[in-house]
Amino acid sequence: MELKFYIESGIIESFVLGLASEEEVEELQHMRRLYPELDTEVEYVERRLERAAFDEPAMPPVEIRERVLQKIRWEEGHAYSDPSSNYTFINIQPKDGSHITVHRWWKIFFIIFFIMSKVFLFLAIFYYLKYRMSQEQQRSDNLHQMIRQEQTQSHLL
Amino acid sequence: MLIERLMIGDPAAKEQLYDRYAGALYNIVLQLVPVKERANEVIVKVFLWSFQHIGTFRTSGHHTLFAWLLRKTREFAIKEALPETALAGTELMKQEDGILQQFYLMLPADQQQVFRLSYFKGLSITTIARLLALPEGQINEILKEAIKSFRQFLKKTWN
Repeated sequence: MELKFYIESGIIESFVLGLASEEEVEELQHMRRLYPELDTEVEYVERRLERAAFDEPAMPPVEIRERVLQKIRWEEGHAYSDPSSNYTFINIQPKDGSHITVHRWWKIFFIIFFIMSKVFLFLAIFYYLKYRMSQEQQRSDNLHQMIRQEQTQSHLL
Repeated sequence: MLIERLMIGDPAAKEQLYDRYAGALYNIVLQLVPVKERANEVIVKVFLWSFQHIGTFRTSGHHTLFAWLLRKTREFAIKEALPETALAGTELMKQEDGILQQFYLMLPADQQQVFRLSYFKGLSITTIARLLALPEGQINEILKEAIKSFRQFLKKTWN
């Protein structure tokens, strides 16, 4: 009878909602050990409150779910990599901002680029000299022609 | 069982815990924290806390994961809401259709005031007594009456 009165006082609800004082909680835990039916009643109250809260759930935004799950994944990765790995990963890349890392193809690209630039430079000089030679040839030809013309003119006079 | 899987740190179980309880808890947080961004923070905190402290569930005195999470949710929510809203008068709580809100609106005026300061604002009996300039014993009695009504309300509607 006294136990019924104790239950009806709402002490369990008070405990479940987090409103009970420390002494009240301690007393309740003590009483629960003595009376199993009180312990059962705690379960009933919790289930009732759960049903009530589930009646109109309001889902938090999807980003919140993502944030929580990301944390789980992160912890999972952490937990799996730490004890099982038998090697240590040391990052020897200088991360000081004055170095960059590029793909290995860039090396081949630069070698080809270097060779091609030499080839083009050689061709440029080669054709330049050839051009100059042909120009000189032309000039001397013209000169010969002029001299010849002058000679014929003086003959006529 | 979800609890056993949580105990061994199964990531899928953690996800399941979130999917099962986030909605019901968010409803309760929105009644305590009127600012949505802060309510969101509370949810994140509660779940991260629960993953780390799942070992304390067995000794918490709770039978259901929901009740265990609810206790902590309210604790975090009150901490989150405290700076601005603790002592302000009768500002509206966002989620008007939450169960505790429904119940609260049915109470007589004096119980409403004490229950609001105690449950929604997380103030101690001593603080409420000082705030309302009433003896602590009287506040205690009013709160007890309110909780008795809450028991009846729960039993009547959700048995």
